[in-house]
Amino acid sequence: MRRFWDVARAAAWLGWQVEANWADPVLFIAYSFAKPLATTLILWFMVAVVSHGHATRDTFLFLFLGNTFFLYVSEVLVGLSWAIFRDREDFETLKYVYLAPIRMIPYLTGRALTKIATASLGAGVALLFGKFVLGLSILGSPEILIRLIGVVLLGLLGIVFLGFALAGAALVMARHSMNLNEGLTGAFYLLCGAVFPIEVLPAWARGVSLALPFTYWLELIRRLLTGHAYAAPLRSMGDGALVGVLALSTVFLGAAATAWFTWCERTARARGLIDWKTNY
Amino acid sequence: MTSREAVLDTLRVNLAAVLARARVRVVASWRETSWVVGETVFPFLTMSAFVLVYRGLHAPRIYEAFVVLGGAMTAYWNNVLWSMASQFFWEKEQGQLQLYLITPVSRMSILLGMALGGMAMTTTRAVAILAGGTLLFHVPIPADRVLPALGLFALTLAAVYALGMILSSVFLLWGRSAWHTVTLFQEPVYLISGFYFPVRFLGAFAAGLAALLPITLGLDGIRQIFYGKAAHGFVPLPWIPPIEIALFALFLFLAHRALLLMETLGKREGRLTLRGG
Repeated sequence: MRRFWDVARAAAWLGWQVEANWADPVLFIAYSFAKPLATTLILWFMVAVVSHGHATRDTFLFLFLGNTFFLYVSEVLVGLSWAIFRDREDFETLKYVYLAPIRMIPYLTGRALTKIATASLGAGVALLFGKFVLGLSILGSPEILIRLIGVVLLGLLGIVFLGFALAGAALVMARHSMNLNEGLTGAFYLLCGAVFPIEVLPAWARGVSLALPFTYWLELIRRLLTGHAYAAPLRSMGDGALVGVLALSTVFLGAAATAWFTWCERTARARGLIDWKTNY
Repeated sequence: MTSREAVLDTLRVNLAAVLARARVRVVASWRETSWVVGETVFPFLTMSAFVLVYRGLHAPRIYEAFVVLGGAMTAYWNNVLWSMASQFFWEKEQGQLQLYLITPVSRMSILLGMALGGMAMTTTRAVAILAGGTLLFHVPIPADRVLPALGLFALTLAAVYALGMILSSVFLLWGRSAWHTVTLFQEPVYLISGFYFPVRFLGAFAAGLAALLPITLGLDGIRQIFYGKAAHGFVPLPWIPPIEIALFALFLFLAHRALLLMETLGKREGRLTLRGG
């Protein structure tokens, strides 16, 4: 276990250097904040436009929280598969990672930690912006914050597992398939109701939405930070039941992602894809 | 060779370069199936999410149409950012840029080819997004106003891609920051250009600044053509085509100047090729 964290820590530091050492801190911070703040304001204006200046803060608050915390999903899912492509083809270092006496899962955990850190930076700023600039009533007692941290960590575990699955796919896929991973993130954004109530989805899509752990994760976060239920199909479920579904799905995701990643890794090594160059 | 023959020869070579660079882009856009799916589905999903935001807010249907039109335009803006502005940066990474520089053609011809190929490639994606949005969400697009809207759309594209040519020169000298800077121009421009809501609601000052971007003006004008006053237009419609033409001419001139300047600077500082080691 100690070895796992040593490798993860080193990989997180490497990831941080890749992410952040290209620019001075001010530009890097601007880059980290630009996306979450811009999407927050897009949603703000959309609500304001429709309600002709009488935007209901509660309505916006639900959209805002979903959009802000979804940042973790997009950053980690896209980030982990990108890390494989970049290491393999741009920096040509993936083969050296395999030559080193380390395993890939701790290495990827470290890279995921960097992504979680940059997403936390963006999400944190967006939350502060929402609370203090937009005047949103986000609950923030110590007890709620502790529960929120627990829920966020549980959700992040599932996101990281899914990230491992996509990183596994990246090992056996060409670089130009990256769009598909981004598309998958877009599908999650749409289906888990990050910015709208899932009851407006058609029935078949609602079924898919209820099969996604992120739907329950975002609902839990919204309930914690606002004190109200949001998604109509989940209103009958208590917070404990939502946590149970999230925990179960995380265990399932963990088992499935590990098995899938192991298979992909074995396939990539057998086919000589670890130092594959697919850029054209 | 007489001077007339020399001019004709230069024209012929540059025209061939334009067509060749455009052809690469068009052929490549169809060769990789995952790109076709990714470039169509990804913006479509995001657009759908924003349509459903309005549906969740019980907004009038016309707002969903704003999003569908904006969603189609995001395909062009993303193409300008990722395949025009940062293209020379990619080319430098792959060792292709130096080949362009030793050919006897104007760099503007290469950029023009990229722009024309990019427009052709992105139009297939934008049409898919527009058709999908119209059919799936049943947004109202008045068929009798399509022709004038297409006219303004063509002017908008010319100015937007000319802006992309300027950015391409600027990005030429950047290192890894080019990549990250592109993302700075993505969501913030979706916001200030009013891709998902009428830009007028940003307020006169912010909307006025945003109107310096041809895509903001174009989208504002296209919505006005389709929906009249209900589009909550910012700039009066008759003003938009002449402004777009003026922006096109200005950006093309600036692109030419910027390209010369950046190339000279890049040669002097040795930044046109990647350093090994």
